[in-house]
Amino acid sequence: MLFVWKIILFVLQWIGWLVLTVWSIFLWLWQKLRGTFQTTRGRVRWALVSVIILALLSGLSVYPNYYNQLASAANGQISRLSDWPAPSYLNWLKPVSRLRLPEYPEKPFRLGLDLVGGTQLLYDADTSKIPLSDRVSALEGVRDVIERRVNAFGVAEPLVQTDKTGDQWRVLVELAGVKDVNEAIKQIGETPLLEFKEQNEAPTVSVLTDEQKKEIVESEKKAKKTAEDLLKRLNRGEDFAELAKTYSEDPGSKDAGGDLGWAKKGMFVPEFDRALFEELKVGERAKQPVRTQFGYHIIEKLEERQDDKGELEIQARHILIAAKSERDFQPPQNPEDQWKNTALSGKQLKRASVVFDEQTQQPQVSLEFNDEGSKLFEEITSRNVDKMVGIFLDKQPISLPKVQQAITGGRAVITGTFTVQEAKLLAQRLNAGALPVPINLVSQQTVGASLGEIAIQRSLRAGLYGFLLVAIFMILYYRLPGIIAVVALLMYAAFVLAIFKLWPVTLTLAGIAGFILSLGMAVDANILIFERLKEELRLGKSLPQAMQAGFERAWTSIRDSNVSSLITCVILSWFGTSVVKGFALTLAIGIVVSMFSAITVTRTFLRVIIRERQQSRLWLYGVRRKSILV
Amino acid sequence: MEYSNERQYNIIGYRKLWFFISGTLIAISVAVVALWGLKLGIDFTGGSLVEIEFKDNRPVVKDVESAVPEQLGKANIAPLGDRGMALRLRSLSEDEHQQLLASLKEKLGKDKDDDYLNESRFTSIGPTIGAELQQKAVWAIAIVLLAIILYIAWAFRKVSRPVPSWQYGVAAVMALFHDVFIPVGIFAALGHFMGVEIDTLFITALLTVLGFSVHDTIVVFDRIRENLLKPAEQFAIVVNKSVNETLARSINTSLATLLVLITTLIFGGETIRYFVLTLILGIIFGTYSSIFIASPLLVSANRWTQKRREAKER
Repeated sequence: MLFVWKIILFVLQWIGWLVLTVWSIFLWLWQKLRGTFQTTRGRVRWALVSVIILALLSGLSVYPNYYNQLASAANGQISRLSDWPAPSYLNWLKPVSRLRLPEYPEKPFRLGLDLVGGTQLLYDADTSKIPLSDRVSALEGVRDVIERRVNAFGVAEPLVQTDKTGDQWRVLVELAGVKDVNEAIKQIGETPLLEFKEQNEAPTVSVLTDEQKKEIVESEKKAKKTAEDLLKRLNRGEDFAELAKTYSEDPGSKDAGGDLGWAKKGMFVPEFDRALFEELKVGERAKQPVRTQFGYHIIEKLEERQDDKGELEIQARHILIAAKSERDFQPPQNPEDQWKNTALSGKQLKRASVVFDEQTQQPQVSLEFNDEGSKLFEEITSRNVDKMVGIFLDKQPISLPKVQQAITGGRAVITGTFTVQEAKLLAQRLNAGALPVPINLVSQQTVGASLGEIAIQRSLRAGLYGFLLVAIFMILYYRLPGIIAVVALLMYAAFVLAIFKLWPVTLTLAGIAGFILSLGMAVDANILIFERLKEELRLGKSLPQAMQAGFERAWTSIRDSNVSSLITCVILSWFGTSVVKGFALTLAIGIVVSMFSAITVTRTFLRVIIRERQQSRLWLYGVRRKSILV
Repeated sequence: MEYSNERQYNIIGYRKLWFFISGTLIAISVAVVALWGLKLGIDFTGGSLVEIEFKDNRPVVKDVESAVPEQLGKANIAPLGDRGMALRLRSLSEDEHQQLLASLKEKLGKDKDDDYLNESRFTSIGPTIGAELQQKAVWAIAIVLLAIILYIAWAFRKVSRPVPSWQYGVAAVMALFHDVFIPVGIFAALGHFMGVEIDTLFITALLTVLGFSVHDTIVVFDRIRENLLKPAEQFAIVVNKSVNETLARSINTSLATLLVLITTLIFGGETIRYFVLTLILGIIFGTYSSIFIASPLLVSANRWTQKRREAKER
């Protein structure tokens, strides 16, 4: 029930607004069009009622607190009605106790960055690598991606705009009320770079110095001699396993007495392979140490057999005396060299989502590729069976799964050590996608929240004091019309603030200054009218005639002067950073509304209070009898 | 406070005096700007501004200075308000910004509470943005002036005698130059002596003053336009009469606006202080110029054309 009432009242309020606004504008236009002043008192009263209702509605939407308190108190009383003992024939009245006065919806002013705190970021977009014709759509892409990224960390009403200055495309991002600006900047600027890499097998080569070459030759000599000595000792009958344990430099087989286990052809380096599979017989030891890339090997072939498929398997043991080779002088390979890029990256990603491992409940990020990505992924996995494929995020390996078999269907899972939060963020960032063009932060304006609160209080106080001073001045100087001007000014403030709320206009500090300034300018229309009224009275016109003439003659001044201010506002909003735009907008709204309120509100009130008998009391209008000319 | 109708001030008659006063003020302003230049804020030059609020006992400037990492360049540091400190540096990247904050926290808030110092405002503007804004500001002012000439010429198109309507526009714009030059001169002096910087808000204030001042001027011109329709009198007399008739309105409107602005200056807080001051200066000079410069200029222009015509006829 309450809900229905709320809706009805809400609709009524809007209809009321609309009808009254249109009605007032119509009245005003009609009177202007008729040009002459032939009012009936009825029409004046109607205008008065509409203006007052309009003002009340405005006031209500600007500051609904008192009304809402009143309404809830009244609702309390109404609900108590049902407790009263009532005769049964009054039962049909019962539903009355369920009626409620609706609360007026409270809607806060929308405050700008400098008042609630937050940050404004300006990015240069580097469009140099994009053909001219695609730049607009690329920038739209940038805007969409940034919007999605910004949405991922939950800011109320973020603003993302693209803008072109000269040839330079820019992106403006405004985040009101964001707490950790640094984190926000990171999230916006950094493309989550998802890459798939395969292991790199081609070593890099660097040129050796003479000294290193000499070292290699010496180490070669020394190793050859050691190996030959060992071979002699073996031939003299010393135990192979013992010697292997002491001297072998192959960490993999040393402790097993040099035993390499069963192996098939092709598993060892070529020289070693040839010795085992072609030259040696079972139980035989190589006559000479065998040179491989690792150094000198003393090799003994132990046994030979056929596996299930009929392939030859050999068991052998060896002692390795390492010799330095060029390889040892190559710089240690860094992770980037170990991995080489594939064509597959985050670009071919269709969707990322968070899933949970069925056994461990560990959060994982599941990836789904598009057609191109699926094909690439299949190719990569099929050429890397039994090898690792690296998944890199922002150049860091996050998961290095070993490929069991080629994967078709274009799905993959990243099993990192994620928390649920991290997995979600990663999925969101991957879904947001990459920026079509690189962006670069060129300007940043960040305001702390505390500063804004102080600023609001201060400007409110300034506005209030300013209003009081103007009110005192107007009443002292213009007497009766002065009082009207103050009432009109109050209504003006209510109108403007209501528009700020309902539009909604984003209020900045400069915007509030614009509003305060417009208070002064709103008074101007009244001053113009009243001065003119006085003049006409001095010329000996009757009050209604003087008023009519005053309004008509003042109108051209009001119109022309305000148009010039409006022109300035338009240019200001073009010049504008958002601060300046806020100022221009509030000032422009103020100017337009002040024209309306001076003509409609002031005029209607004046008509209502002007009486013929006041002709003998012109001091009410600030006109001295002495100064009347005619 | 009654400006009587019977007594008229002879404003037009003394016009050479007003021209002399304004000419002197403008000359001084131009000289001041030429001598000291304008102190442009980071909006226009690029750079960064960091405002720090300290919880209690603010450190001395020297300590803050030594807490700024060396690689960030020279910092210009000044106390701000009761507990604040403003640091001006070259344009900083976000990483450098974080580096600065970390260093300040470490060196100044070492054995203090965690919230001993808080950054209340950070602005960093790249040099290209600043240069663009400079250009834009100049364009904005030029366009406003042009638009106003055109608008006035159009609004007064029906009054072509004895002064052509475009001359109303030119007279108004000459008054506007006056309204812009003098505050700019004052701010050049403020910049020199007190380090006051010119920022976007200053330009905004100037543009607003242009709007307000032309507003004032148009009201007077409008009255001239109206009075010219009445039985012919000498142009100078019509203008003087019109200026006097609108005198009360001009002064009262400016007074009402100044009342609000002055309360804003006193209670409105640091950030918009100089913005409001610019508006106040502009409105004072704007009101002065619409009474003492714009309308007398019309009379001078009229005299000048008349003399030339007479010379031709002879």
